[in-house]
Amino acid sequence: MTLSSSFKTPIAIIPVLVSLIILGPVLLAIWFGVFSPSGLSWDHILNNRLLPYSLTTLFMLAVTGMLIVLIAVPLAWLISLFDFPGRKIFEWCLILPLAVPGYVLAYSWANLASVAGPIQSAFRDLTSLSARDYWFPDIFTPAGLSVILALGLFPYVYITARAAFSNQSLATLEAARSLGMSGIRLFFKVAIPAARPAIIAGLALALMEASADYGAADYLGVQTLGVGIIRAWSSYGEPTSAARLALVLIGLAFSFMLIANLAQGKSGVQQNSYRWTTPQRTQLTGLHAGLACLHCISIMLIAFGIPVLRLLWLCLENGVPRRSVFDPVISSIILASAGTAFAFICALTLVLSNHYRQRAPWITRLSAAAGYATPGAVLGLSGLFLLQMLGQSLTGIIALLLLVWIYASRFTAAGTEPLYASLTRAPASLDHAARSLRVGRISRFYRVDLPILSPGALAAGLILFVEILKELPATLMLRPFGWDTLAIRAHAYASDERLVEATLPSLLIVIAGILPVLLLSYQITRSGEALK
Amino acid sequence: MTEQVMSYFKTILSLIFLGGLSACTPPPTESSETLTIYSARHYDSDQIIYQTFEQMHGVKVEVREANADQLLETLKAEGDNSEADLVIASDAGALWRFSDAGLTQKVSAPEIVSQIPAAYHDPDGDWFSLSRRLRLVAFDPDMFRASDLDTWGKLADPAKSGEICVRSSSNIYNLSLMSEMIARVGPDEASEWAAGIVANMARQPQGGDTDQIRAVAAGECGIAIANHYYWARLADSGVGADRAVADATRLVVPGFGDDLGAHINITGVAITKTAGNVDLALDFVSFLLSDEGQALLVEETKELPLTSQISAEAAAGDTDNIASVERSSVALSRFGENQAEAQILFDLAGWN
Repeated sequence: MTLSSSFKTPIAIIPVLVSLIILGPVLLAIWFGVFSPSGLSWDHILNNRLLPYSLTTLFMLAVTGMLIVLIAVPLAWLISLFDFPGRKIFEWCLILPLAVPGYVLAYSWANLASVAGPIQSAFRDLTSLSARDYWFPDIFTPAGLSVILALGLFPYVYITARAAFSNQSLATLEAARSLGMSGIRLFFKVAIPAARPAIIAGLALALMEASADYGAADYLGVQTLGVGIIRAWSSYGEPTSAARLALVLIGLAFSFMLIANLAQGKSGVQQNSYRWTTPQRTQLTGLHAGLACLHCISIMLIAFGIPVLRLLWLCLENGVPRRSVFDPVISSIILASAGTAFAFICALTLVLSNHYRQRAPWITRLSAAAGYATPGAVLGLSGLFLLQMLGQSLTGIIALLLLVWIYASRFTAAGTEPLYASLTRAPASLDHAARSLRVGRISRFYRVDLPILSPGALAAGLILFVEILKELPATLMLRPFGWDTLAIRAHAYASDERLVEATLPSLLIVIAGILPVLLLSYQITRSGEALK
Repeated sequence: MTEQVMSYFKTILSLIFLGGLSACTPPPTESSETLTIYSARHYDSDQIIYQTFEQMHGVKVEVREANADQLLETLKAEGDNSEADLVIASDAGALWRFSDAGLTQKVSAPEIVSQIPAAYHDPDGDWFSLSRRLRLVAFDPDMFRASDLDTWGKLADPAKSGEICVRSSSNIYNLSLMSEMIARVGPDEASEWAAGIVANMARQPQGGDTDQIRAVAAGECGIAIANHYYWARLADSGVGADRAVADATRLVVPGFGDDLGAHINITGVAITKTAGNVDLALDFVSFLLSDEGQALLVEETKELPLTSQISAEAAAGDTDNIASVERSSVALSRFGENQAEAQILFDLAGWN
């Protein structure tokens, strides 16, 4: 049974091409970093800055990762296995922070929690203490940055963990329960090990996103690699040094993906039960129900409610800026749609080709991951390189095509992961049955793979849309004339310290992102039920 | 609006149908002339400048706004194909980088140059200054007198320990200040100064200039290093709490301990090497230096005008004591030449 042999045709070229499309800009950046002559400041960066940047980044990633797991996994467990007042609302609400860009979350929380912000001002007024007389958690620190990033990124793990908990093979959980296991032991001994691949996949995405962050870290004054990369470019005037520092980030992403891959391979849990189901939810009552509810509300407020309401407040208090935001709304939606379409096709091609050819999918996953971990600004530089090769000016269609290409290079990983998750959740026996029945390739695609893929496909599309909507540096660098997006408008105000004016475009990004996120929640809920 | 939507859809359609093929087609020809500006400024009021100029000259103005270093790489990548006619940047060092990369052209425009005060000329004639930006100190008057802080050197004095709030060293305003410091006193003394500032910091560098001024009003530090217009915007704010911050602080423009003037930066404009219509580009520069242009440049930004007779107080709020400060004789181009060294010295001094 050699399905792969039927692919020894020109079609086999397609996944290779797609990999090249995604990897192209990353390889260009690597080539640029490795082979361009060193700038004058490179030695200084290497000797004096690389270590502190790397240590800060690793610390930030470790704390962010820990916080994400601590926030997301218990939440997913609570929502999947228990019933309590408001559970149905929290179930979808908890994904909303995905719609808030990290830099917007940083602006808002920094505005609230800084020494001159309303919280500390009120505290001083109440106590008549001076700003030097008391300790207050400082958001402008690596730890503060980690909290901000974790608040914005925990939904990645919440989504994957919830899907895993909701669709655990009934047999496993029933067996565990019939053996008298319950509560916390069930969580640690059965649920976590089974959901581990899903949790790690979500965490890998979240941490790659965190390592490529520039906006939040820069605003909070934390010297991460992402900040160092931009500093190498803007302060020293050396894009080469920026590309070299980006190599470290790409290396980090490779290690995340390798770890994720190892974790998934080692667990090797082959789901072979058809009885997919949402486990029977335990009804919580009294104090327990109240605590569960309070826990969800607190996280919702901290990650979404308070920062967004603060923006809304600033916006209403100060009135809207005089420049119309109509065009940026349209540009944002069109660019995000075009980018999503292209990145989605790339992701689907990679996932399916690996699926059919049964080759190690990790190679293509790594190539997608490399793009995902490369800062947008560095990929933007690659885009300018391509422009130079084409001998064109950055206008019209050329600029749009380049931008959409860079989007695909940067974000395809965000699309492949949900698709892989769908495929690996399906029992392998389904696939074996299709093969032994000699179902044709096309027929197999329509009758077996498509239904399995569709929830993952919707998730992939929606995550891509929201990610591209929030994207800033590459869009700033490559957009054609007159294509300001909401993110660009928010950045323009914020970079000039006019947070108040930045609130309207920031809010609109959140609003434009909420709809897809709601669709995503709905789909996750529904697919959980449909799989019963 | 519908027309705009239609044009978006047309673009999208052509994107889908033409794809890569369109790489070979020339851009659509416009009936009217176009002035293309690459601007590192992001002010809403700049839109009015462009619209006013469009109406005055019956031309179309196209603008790409991005950070200066990004615009520089874009211009390099576009090479001779670039449509850019002008580059606007809010820092002399940034403009120097454009001219250093050979992306600008020298233009003989004696009428324009004669309007600009000598201290604000680019010695190489590669670009023109448009407006002034002062780096200064906002302080708590209950703790300090202006005479305690009237030189940059006094800020590094151990007596100011734990009092200084300042933003990150990679910010262009700090880099340009340090670049001038290096030009005046040399790298060794400049390093010592930076180390002194670091030793006196009330907290790790964070946020923007406005955040530093707010921190003084909130009592976290006694001294904030900031550009003047951030203070002026607080003073002119519609929000009472912002005006209270300005009321609680005083300004002083530090010198360098000599009589050679203060550190003042500029917003300026350069004509690109690829400029299609140099005369039109010069018309635009002239417009920016006219009373109307100067008023539009500084109205929202609170920068200080360069040539115009319009009232500096109107531009900078209640900051009349700073509007008359003289710029030093250190060439503006040094801000760019020394910038990488400035960052290295900051890094070594531990100024994050």
